[in-house]
Amino acid sequence: MKNEPGMAYNTKKLNKFFAVISVIFLISVLWMVLDDFIRPWKVVQIKALEVKKQVLQEKIEKENESINNEELNQILADIKTAEKAIADKKDVIDQINEDNAVVEKKIYVQNMNNGIYGSKAGAYQFKYEHYRVDGKEKEASKYKVLMDEMKEKFDQGRDELKALQVEEKNIKEKLKNIKEELTDLERSLKKQVGAKDLLVQSLKGTKKDFIWFLRNGPFLDYLDPTIKIQQIVLNNITDDRYFRQTEKVDRCITCHLFIGEKGYENQPNPYKTHPRIDELAVGLKSAHPMKKFGCTSCHGGEGHRVNDFNSPAHMPQNEKQQEEWVEKYHWHEPHKVPQAVYPLQYSEASCVKCHRDVERVALADKLNHGRELIENYGCYGCHKIKGYEHLKKPGPSLLKINAKVSKEFIKNWIWSPQSFNAHSRMPSFFGQSNNKQPEFMKKNITEVNAMAEYIVEKAKDYTPFEKYAGGNAEKGKQLIQTVGCIACHQVEGIDEPYNKVKSQKGPYLSGTGTKVDKDWLVSWLLKPSHYQEDTIMPSFRLSNAEANNIAAYLLTLKNKTFDGLTFAEIDNDTRDEILVEYFSQFEPISLAKEKLAKLDDHERTIELGKRSIGKYGCYSCHNIEGFADDRPPIGPELSAVGSKPIHQFGYGQQVQVEHTRHAWITAHLQDPRRWDIGVPKPFKDLNRMPNFYLKDDEIEAITTVMLGQVSDFVPLAGKKLLTANEKIVEKGKKVANKFNCYGCHKVSGFGGKIAAAFEDDLNMGPPWLVNEGHRVYQSWLHNFLRNVHTIRPYMIVRMPTFNFSDEDLNSLTEFFKYESDQLTFDNPPKIVWEPGEKEAAAKIFNELACTTCHTGGFNSDDPQGPNLHYAKTRLHKSWIKKWLTNPTAVMPYTPMPDFWSGGTESAVEGVLGDDPQKQIEAVAKYILDMGYDKTPPPL
Amino acid sequence: MKEFINIVSDPVYSFTGAIILYFLALKNMTFVGSKKFFMILATVVVLFFGWAASDKIFFTIISWPDNIPITILLVLVFWLTWYSFYKGVENDKRIESGEPPIEGTPENREKVWAWPNLVYTELFTIILGTVFLIAWSVLFKAPLEEPANPTWAPNPAKAPWYFLGLQEMLVYFDPWIAGVLLPGLIIVGLIAIPYIDINPKGNGYYTFKERKFAISTFMFGWLVLWVFLIITGTFLRGPNWTFYGPFEFWDPHKVVAANNINISEIFWIKILGMGLPHNVLIREIVGILMVLGYLAVGPFLITKYWGKKLLEKMGPARYYIMVYLILIMMGLPIKMYLRWFINLKYIVFMPEFELNI
Repeated sequence: MKNEPGMAYNTKKLNKFFAVISVIFLISVLWMVLDDFIRPWKVVQIKALEVKKQVLQEKIEKENESINNEELNQILADIKTAEKAIADKKDVIDQINEDNAVVEKKIYVQNMNNGIYGSKAGAYQFKYEHYRVDGKEKEASKYKVLMDEMKEKFDQGRDELKALQVEEKNIKEKLKNIKEELTDLERSLKKQVGAKDLLVQSLKGTKKDFIWFLRNGPFLDYLDPTIKIQQIVLNNITDDRYFRQTEKVDRCITCHLFIGEKGYENQPNPYKTHPRIDELAVGLKSAHPMKKFGCTSCHGGEGHRVNDFNSPAHMPQNEKQQEEWVEKYHWHEPHKVPQAVYPLQYSEASCVKCHRDVERVALADKLNHGRELIENYGCYGCHKIKGYEHLKKPGPSLLKINAKVSKEFIKNWIWSPQSFNAHSRMPSFFGQSNNKQPEFMKKNITEVNAMAEYIVEKAKDYTPFEKYAGGNAEKGKQLIQTVGCIACHQVEGIDEPYNKVKSQKGPYLSGTGTKVDKDWLVSWLLKPSHYQEDTIMPSFRLSNAEANNIAAYLLTLKNKTFDGLTFAEIDNDTRDEILVEYFSQFEPISLAKEKLAKLDDHERTIELGKRSIGKYGCYSCHNIEGFADDRPPIGPELSAVGSKPIHQFGYGQQVQVEHTRHAWITAHLQDPRRWDIGVPKPFKDLNRMPNFYLKDDEIEAITTVMLGQVSDFVPLAGKKLLTANEKIVEKGKKVANKFNCYGCHKVSGFGGKIAAAFEDDLNMGPPWLVNEGHRVYQSWLHNFLRNVHTIRPYMIVRMPTFNFSDEDLNSLTEFFKYESDQLTFDNPPKIVWEPGEKEAAAKIFNELACTTCHTGGFNSDDPQGPNLHYAKTRLHKSWIKKWLTNPTAVMPYTPMPDFWSGGTESAVEGVLGDDPQKQIEAVAKYILDMGYDKTPPPL
Repeated sequence: MKEFINIVSDPVYSFTGAIILYFLALKNMTFVGSKKFFMILATVVVLFFGWAASDKIFFTIISWPDNIPITILLVLVFWLTWYSFYKGVENDKRIESGEPPIEGTPENREKVWAWPNLVYTELFTIILGTVFLIAWSVLFKAPLEEPANPTWAPNPAKAPWYFLGLQEMLVYFDPWIAGVLLPGLIIVGLIAIPYIDINPKGNGYYTFKERKFAISTFMFGWLVLWVFLIITGTFLRGPNWTFYGPFEFWDPHKVVAANNINISEIFWIKILGMGLPHNVLIREIVGILMVLGYLAVGPFLITKYWGKKLLEKMGPARYYIMVYLILIMMGLPIKMYLRWFINLKYIVFMPEFELNI
């Protein structure tokens, strides 16, 4: 068809086309709006309404059950009667209401007038003052008249208002009197059904009615939506936005709607209530209320991102959950997020960020376990980690090793500590996944030989001061079990329940008979510091016979394979080859060979030994002659490993390991040498991190600690700052932990592992130290720790004598002092008796038969409690009173009877007016009064 | 097969291939401008993409929100280039047989009204364009990333897609050349084209034969240099700006040997076997002479052997501006080949004056 002249197209067709594309345009705009409107989090909130409804209904049902229907009906009936009675007085009430209305009107008018008078008076005063200042007296006096007039009116009006208000009050009073009965009834009704009414009210809020749709509909939802993003803005914690610190904004509660509400504990996520809500976090009374700490401060992740499940960087706990999430939420690994959400099992990692300078964090069991493991395995020996600097080198000193073990043993032991003692904490360096090839083995054998030669040659002479004289192994075993060794050591072959303590502070004693020299063992047991000055192993003040008995038992522990095992000979060619490699690091091979030629055979071995010790970092854990104390440890610092960007972790060919920090650390702890597998590396460059053969739960705990070692900036206002006193306490706790006081004593809720051996009678085990600073005088404690003496004669387990430095000892006593807010120096109070008080006290003391248990100094029966005569120099009076008032509140396990029923009842009838407080005061005085001015002789 | 494609995608081969293909196409323009060629090409391209898209890596690369414009660009460049050649070839045939070009036939010379013919259709285009943009923005979310982190730059850090050709040039030149001089000359050159090109033919109609030189030169710069470099920069450059084949996993730890040396080192150390002279100018004398030779002697040689006619036609000012623009344009492939074949780092290396060529 030919077009009209001047037209390239048919206009009608163009119009039709225009219509079609306009419709397409409209559809695409609607599509865009809907795409913007429909957000994943909205779906979550709409579903939450159902969850809330269900929970509320359950609560209402429960509330219904608790309502006393009989009472309720009675109240309702009474209300009816009362209402009827009021209805009868309708005329009176109407009259009152009418009067009230009149008064209220008058008050309104008066208020209005007063406002006018007041403001006019103010305006006139302003003018008056200004004319005065300008010296225009005439105008000033004019305004003064006006001002005074208005002020007068205002004062009058105010007076009238007061009169009216009195009138109003009287009228209201009348009405109140008439309605009083009804008001009371309504109040009791509210008591019955108030809670339910509130619930019903909230239930209404879950309805999706027309208004709800209107408020949340597209285009209208900007006005006042109910489905909206919820957020917490924190001004004390910031997010690092690289160029500045910005206030943290957490919008997690947009989906985790009920995280802070109780009653949703059994709902699936995201509708769940936070665990330990009143204690740990989220709850208002908890340590970390949600409004103050948000969510991502602890959990990590991008809390401000809210669009869908993936935006805040959720991380699954394990593969199973990952699969589940992929299916449910199309989960994928977060991209370029500095810290994704910690997988649930590592949540405690983030405690460290704010709780710095403390060794243990309350409520963080896994973290504490991890830290204990790091201390026990000595990770801090090779890796500098902030917070562990105060600990001594984890391994024993090798400075006098020849007196302890043989050279042959050293070689076998270095080669594979675990095959000698499966529980050994000395890790394995050899025969690992990256060096078990024969050519590497050959070199390793040479190195081990050289290291042993070096250590043995450089070690100083040491002669044990006591000879092993033989002993009774059975008695020795009993001693090991009861005297306190098990607080630090696990020992092969000991009985239930002593083997349940499972302490890892000291080495697991197995194969000792094969390993150590007999005389050395006895001397060591008698006085450990004689052999190694800085040892934390204390003296138990064993007698020679006791030490011999224990030695006898330990010497029965043999390792048959190691007995008489000889290590492969050193291969001189291999040795020279390795040495040339060392020498040629900075010099050409020809020079290196010349250098080698200058050394004789023995010198070469020693040189290789020293180089190898440096290479494997033995000196990081052991004191070895020739290695200076300040030589930096062998491993990289881990203080900020939790913030190390993931692309800085080397994965080698381990493609199966996930690209997350926790996965890398876990894989690394499982097999530290795995990164070398499949990578062609020369012998000298092989990865040297040894294998500790950790168990899965140990790896998880250590990983938790490592993830927490972050470099995040936390504003001072957001983190736990230790007060000056708390810092001193923490310093003391470090000492307490270093010497393993916690192995025996439960101190302020922590520690006391040895209790597993005293499950039958905790009173026979080491005492808990609850508020110890309040209990004992600091001077006494200081003296006691230096010169241990008997306090509880009935105990078999011994308080050992530690080789404390003055500094350590002061830290310890200060720890207790500041923990309980006590003075440094204080003396026993002077006892001043009220008339008749002393006699009364003596009577109570006798009637309660204190000396049945506290026999010391009274009779020769077996004592069941401490000698009271020594209380004077030891115990604070206020503590004695606290103890007498309620002993089990201090130590739940104590056999000490609660004579005064928690201080509420008289213990002995008819004494001191049956006033329990007076009786307790009298007994406390009595005990102090009889006390000696000295402490018992040191043991 | 994928392995083979990965290998030949390396610029050394693919760039050479592109040049050869380009000149083959110019030689066989009658075939290239036919519908048959288009059908074959379209079939090959569709089959290739259909096959290649089943590869996870290839698909990830082409469907990356950043790269979608380039995928579209690829298709459009194919289509539009072919279409203009097709039209040109058709007109060439007509002109050869003495007919006017299609655009010059009486029925095509008839005039029509701007309204509604033009304005209305422009409105359609606006609407459809908007619909397209809406659909695009809904289907492919904006490739926004996290707030910039100075200690954790993206790897690879890529410019916007339209600058990727420039970024690719940075591999071969210093920033002042690749980022300032060359882009500046591109713009200047494009502006200069109407003043340089005084050939009146092809005005208002498609043709190839009547403007062979102009079209060939321009299309070389556009297709072989600009578009090819964008494609390389987009699809074939991964972490650390290392080359990755289209089916190769972007392993950030990929190791490539890249030890490049300067002309001065080749000359003084490798050839003469002596140390580098202390004097900068003496040290770099070879490179300086080479550059000067290229720029000073090059035009005369070109004129002597090829350009006499053009010189006469265009006059010296137009002619020499054109020759210099072409010489500088050809500098890019020359440097690329020097880099690939002799690991050349710089022809002139004078960091003392921040002057590296």
